[in-house]
Amino acid sequence: MHPVIRLVNRNLTISLNKGFLIWQVIFPLIYIFVAGFAYSGMIGFNIMNSTLISGIIIWNDRRHGMFEQILVGPFTRVHYILSNVYTIGIVGLISAALITAVGYPLFFKSVEFNFYTIPLVVFASVSGSILFGSIASIISTRLQSSEGFNVVINTVFLFFAFVSTAFYPAEGTPEPLSTAFYLNPLTYLVDVVRAGIFGNFSTFVGIEMIVLIALALILFTIATKLLSKLEL
Amino acid sequence: MSCIVANSLSKSYGSIMAVDGIDLSVNSGRIFGFLGPNGAGKTTTIKLLTTLIAPTSGTINILGIDAIRQPLDVRKKIGVVLQQPSYEPTLGVEKSLEKYGMMWNVERKTRKDRVEELLSAFDLQEIRNMKNDDLSIGQRRRVQVAREFMHDMDLLFLDEPTVGLDPSARRGLLDFVKKKVKEGLTIFFTTHILNEAEYLCDEVAIINKGKIIAVDTPDELKNKFGREKTIKIRIPETKKDVSGLLVGIKDYEIDLNSGTNITIRSNDSEEVLLKILQILNVNNIPIEDLSVMPTTLEEIFLTVVNNSNASGN
Ligand SMILES: Nc1ncnc2c1ncn2[C@@H]1O[C@H](COP(=O)(O)OP(=O)(O)OP(=O)(O)O)[C@@H](O)[C@H]1O
Ligand SMILES: [Mg+2]
Repeated sequence: MHPVIRLVNRNLTISLNKGFLIWQVIFPLIYIFVAGFAYSGMIGFNIMNSTLISGIIIWNDRRHGMFEQILVGPFTRVHYILSNVYTIGIVGLISAALITAVGYPLFFKSVEFNFYTIPLVVFASVSGSILFGSIASIISTRLQSSEGFNVVINTVFLFFAFVSTAFYPAEGTPEPLSTAFYLNPLTYLVDVVRAGIFGNFSTFVGIEMIVLIALALILFTIATKLLSKLEL
Repeated sequence: MSCIVANSLSKSYGSIMAVDGIDLSVNSGRIFGFLGPNGAGKTTTIKLLTTLIAPTSGTINILGIDAIRQPLDVRKKIGVVLQQPSYEPTLGVEKSLEKYGMMWNVERKTRKDRVEELLSAFDLQEIRNMKNDDLSIGQRRRVQVAREFMHDMDLLFLDEPTVGLDPSARRGLLDFVKKKVKEGLTIFFTTHILNEAEYLCDEVAIINKGKIIAVDTPDELKNKFGREKTIKIRIPETKKDVSGLLVGIKDYEIDLNSGTNITIRSNDSEEVLLKILQILNVNNIPIEDLSVMPTTLEEIFLTVVNNSNASGN
C-alpha cells in the first residue's frame, strides 16, 4: 500500500468517532428538519466543517508527539500533507453526499437534479476541502498555546458561517452585509452547491468557481510551506 | 560492519552548539550506550542520526546509506523511540499497536501475532482496551516502546526508554531488548541510569557540552578512569592506638564506630593496602573483614564529566 493511503487510513481511524459523527451528520440534519430551509447552505457548511478534521489532526499530532514520530517513520512531509488533503476530501464528499441524500425527500419539490449536479457538488467539496483545510492547517501550525486551537478555529469558522449565504440568501440583506458576504469563500462554495442542486447555473457562478479554486491553491501553497518549515 | 558512521557532526541552534563536531562509529549487532548530563546533546544527536533534523555540518551514514541525501531510505530501516512521548489519544492500546503496524505496511496476520507478543512482553494485557489518553505516564511509555517493535528494522534508537518505568517493567524492557539484539538488532540507547548502561551496553560514549569525551567498553572505561579504588578493612576493638601506628601512611581514613574500620581511597590502593597489612601484622592485630568496592560506571561518569567541565571543554 502507498504511504499516503496508509496515513489516510490512520487519519480516518483516529478522527471518526461518535462526537465527530454527531457534529458532522446528526446536527446538520436536525437543523434542516427544524429550520426547514438552507439545504444547500448546510451542505456548504458541512464541507467547511469537515475540514476541521485536518486542523485537528495536525494540532493533535503536534501536541501528542505523533507528528515527529511519523516523520521518523517511512513517510515524508509531503506524504503527511497529502494524506490530510485526501482525508478531508473523503470526509467532505461523504458528508456532502449524506446530507444531499437525506435532505432530498424534504426538498424534492424545488430540487432539480440535472447533468451538472454531481460535478458541481464534487467540485465544491474538493475545492472547499482544500481551501478550508488549508485555513485550518495554517492556524494549527501557527498556534503555540496548548488549548487554543479549538477556540480559534471554531470562532473563525462560525464567523465564515454567519457572514455568508449559508443560512440566508444574499438578496434582501442590507448593504454592508451583502458585500461582506462576497468577501467570504463560504458564500462562493454555497452558491456553487446551490447552482448544482437547484439547476440555476450562471456566468456569475462560473466566476465564483474560478475564485474558489484560485483561493484554494494559494492557501494550500501557504499551508504546505508552513508545514514543511515547522521546526522539530 | 559499522551501521552508524558520523564524521565531524555538528548542530547549532543560534549561538548554542548542541552537537559540536562528534565522530561516531557503531558496529552491527551491538548495544551502544550514549551517556551524558542534561543538555549534553544526546537527543539532538539522535534527531540528527534519525534524519528528523538536518545537521549544520558533517556527514552521516546509516546502514550504508547517506542519511543526508536519502533520509527516507534510512527511515524505512530504523526504529525510533523519541524521548518525547507520542501516542494517539483516542485509540485503545491494542488498536494503536495494530494501526502502527499498518502504518509500517506490516501484513495483517503478522500484525495480529506481534500485537499479542508485545502485549504480553510489555505486560499490557490488562490495559489492552484502555484509551491511551487514560493511561498513566509509565504505562504510556511502555506502549510507546512496545509499539516500535511492531515493525521490522535493522537499527533501533531509544532515547531514555526507561524513564518513568517501575523496576520490574524496566528490567523486562532491558531483557526484551537484549533478546532482540541476540536476534540481530543493533541498538543506540541513551540513559541517565548508569547501571542500566552497564547491564546492557557493549560500548558506551560519554558526551558533554556537545563533545564526545570518552568512548569504550564499560570495562575499558573503568580500567582507564577507575584507577582510584576503595578498599575497606575491619578490625576488632583494640586498646592499641591504631591511628598512631599508621602515621605516615597516605590516602586512608579511620572510623572508630562499632569496631575499627579503615577505608583506603587511593590511585595506588594496592600499595597502601600492603603497608597497612604489614603494620597490622607486626602489631598482632587480626583482620575481621576486607572488601574491595568495585568501580561503577556511575563513578567513571562523574569523574569524566567533572574533568571535562574543569578543563573547560
Ligand atoms: N530546538 C532547539 N532550539 C534551541 N536549542 C535547542 C533545541 N533543542 C535542543 N537545544 C539545546 O541543545 C542542547 C542539547 O540539547 P539535547 O536535547 O540534545 O540534550 P540532552 O543531552 O538530550 O539532554 P537531556 O538529558 O536533558 O535529555 C541544549 O543546550 C538545548 O538547550
Ligand atoms: Mg534528551
